[in-house]
Amino acid sequence: MITAIAWKNVWRNKTRSLIVISAVTIGVFAGIFSMAAINSSVVQRLDAAVNEELSHIQVNNKDFRSSADIQNIIGNYPEVVSALESTPGVTNITGRIIIRGIASTATKSTGVEITGIDVGKEKEIFTLSEKLIPGTGSYFETDTKFNSVFIGEKLAKELNIIRYIITPEAITSLREEGMTSETVSKVETLQGQRFTSEKKFVKAYEEILEPNEIQKYGWKIKEAAWSYREGSKIILSFLDINNSQTGAAFKVCGIFRTNNDMFESLSLFVPIDELRQLTGMKDGTFHRVIARLENNDITDKATSEIRQKLADYEVLNWKEIQPDLAMMADFMGQIYSVFMVIILAALAFGIVNTMLMAVLERTRELGMLMAIGMNRRKIFIMIMLESIFLSIVGGFAGMAVSEAVIAVTAKTGINLVKYSEGLEAMGYSANLYPTIDAQFFVTTTILIVLTGIIAAIYPARKALKLNPIEAIRTE
Amino acid sequence: MKVIEIKDLNKIYNSTEVKVHAVNGVTLDFQEAEFAAIVGPSGSGKTTLLNLLGGLDYPTSGQILIDGVDLSILKSSALIDFRMRNIGFVFQAYNLIPVLTAKENIEFIMSLQKIASKKRDERTFELLKAVGLADRAESRPAKLSGGQQQRVAVARALASKPKFVLADEPTANLDSKSATTLLEIMEKLNHEEKITFIFSTHDPRVVKMAHRVITLEDGRVVSDEQMK
Repeated sequence: MITAIAWKNVWRNKTRSLIVISAVTIGVFAGIFSMAAINSSVVQRLDAAVNEELSHIQVNNKDFRSSADIQNIIGNYPEVVSALESTPGVTNITGRIIIRGIASTATKSTGVEITGIDVGKEKEIFTLSEKLIPGTGSYFETDTKFNSVFIGEKLAKELNIIRYIITPEAITSLREEGMTSETVSKVETLQGQRFTSEKKFVKAYEEILEPNEIQKYGWKIKEAAWSYREGSKIILSFLDINNSQTGAAFKVCGIFRTNNDMFESLSLFVPIDELRQLTGMKDGTFHRVIARLENNDITDKATSEIRQKLADYEVLNWKEIQPDLAMMADFMGQIYSVFMVIILAALAFGIVNTMLMAVLERTRELGMLMAIGMNRRKIFIMIMLESIFLSIVGGFAGMAVSEAVIAVTAKTGINLVKYSEGLEAMGYSANLYPTIDAQFFVTTTILIVLTGIIAAIYPARKALKLNPIEAIRTE
Repeated sequence: MKVIEIKDLNKIYNSTEVKVHAVNGVTLDFQEAEFAAIVGPSGSGKTTLLNLLGGLDYPTSGQILIDGVDLSILKSSALIDFRMRNIGFVFQAYNLIPVLTAKENIEFIMSLQKIASKKRDERTFELLKAVGLADRAESRPAKLSGGQQQRVAVARALASKPKFVLADEPTANLDSKSATTLLEIMEKLNHEEKITFIFSTHDPRVVKMAHRVITLEDGRVVSDEQMK
């Protein structure tokens, strides 16, 4: 019956209880949703790093990373493969040749890292092939007499392979996107012009559009004008096995788009045999062996096991190669703690205030309950239960709202395209797909209930100190 | 049979600069099924005596024996338990639990005593019928008149079959008709349930119906009359 009374007492002053519950709901939602959004950003970055750029574990010749000399190959490739294959959790292995060089077109040149890959095996380990921009070709699927190269969008822009042209199709697409006819007519003035860089194109449309039009349509105009001439070629120059300058023309077979500008502008991929042929490297030689694991959680264990087996090589996992990523993952835990402390402190103050008011308003009733024989333990439990109910209702409402909003935004995504330049420069996606694991909800629930209990102790103790004789006479 | 024995009871308040001798050497007995009123002017010690009898306060000296148990030596927690099992209270301002229905208010003490649900229901229905509110069992206090609320309070006080009921100015907030109805019900229950009723009152209607009237002045018993 005490539980029933406590529950009914919560709804005694509906307005006040609903205000507290709403405050708790909003607080919990704000905390969980912010965490989910931040978490998604980090998770997406981690996934991208592991699935597109690094995989889980890399084995190099000990001197390779410091000098990047073409001669610093894996000494005994079969031994490395055998060590990796015998390690529990390793699912796939592939070897790479990596050399530094220069990529050039008729107008531009830039330093790059040329990676020779086994196309078939890479597709089993990395998802880069899925990052192909539609309409730019394929992931090494077309036969060509030229050497093939798969490059990033950022590099393509730097080499002026991507141009910006306002075509009649682009105008139609902008109209369909909902652009006003006034803005469309301004953009039409650029029709027919060919801009060899994004910078020049942006400058051109910024001169003819108002700031609010730029803010609203800038991204769409760039997307619509984006143009790529299939079959573009680039020249790759590098040193061969004898340290002699060599190079060849490569046909761009496809362009990939990731969220990491640095990776896009530095990395390009060619079939390993073509690179071996050009550099004079022997069959079966590699600079790096890459291993894919079942999941991220076994990274540390697998790394130490492989390190023991391959003491003559440099064995690194993704956390060690990009410590900033590992730090971000750890940092998430700290951000979570800070968020939760803020939310729970606000929750605690709200509950203390409400319960103190409730005790004050019900002094006479509490006095009567003591007089007729309700002992202090039961009164204490009743006040505690009221507080717990308030926090549970608010907490669960907050979690339900969070779950619903996260479920919707996880599908639709949150578009931060305005900040895409900055985010992608750091390797983070401008499209967030909020995600949070079930454990977070469980922990949050426990913390909310605990806060409700702790926050009720002071008002409950106040109630216990009442003198029934005086309390009954309270007006 | 003696239900309450009060021996040379004193209560002195020292909290103010002047010592107040609220109850001064009171010695009284109450028998089973008495219907007694304690009267006297304001400040005569009626309420203090009732609080001491109800175990809500400790005497400065003297003894209150209820069925041989000395209240003055019971610890606070034991006293609460003793109150729950042996004493019924009716307050001037009814003091029902507003979120509970009339039925639930009556059941409440029995649930504290862990009486089985079936027995609780039987006793509650019996009392609701006795106070003439069987048709208002599911009404909350806010939906009942003052007189009806006080009848529920009487039923609540009797629910656990206490040894005696203490009623502090039970008719003070009631109109004449409601007060008379309430007193008639209380007298009937006193007779039927053989439970002692002790009133602290100024109300002449209560005095008129009481079987025994004890008059206090300055904390002392100045008269103790059997009326019926």
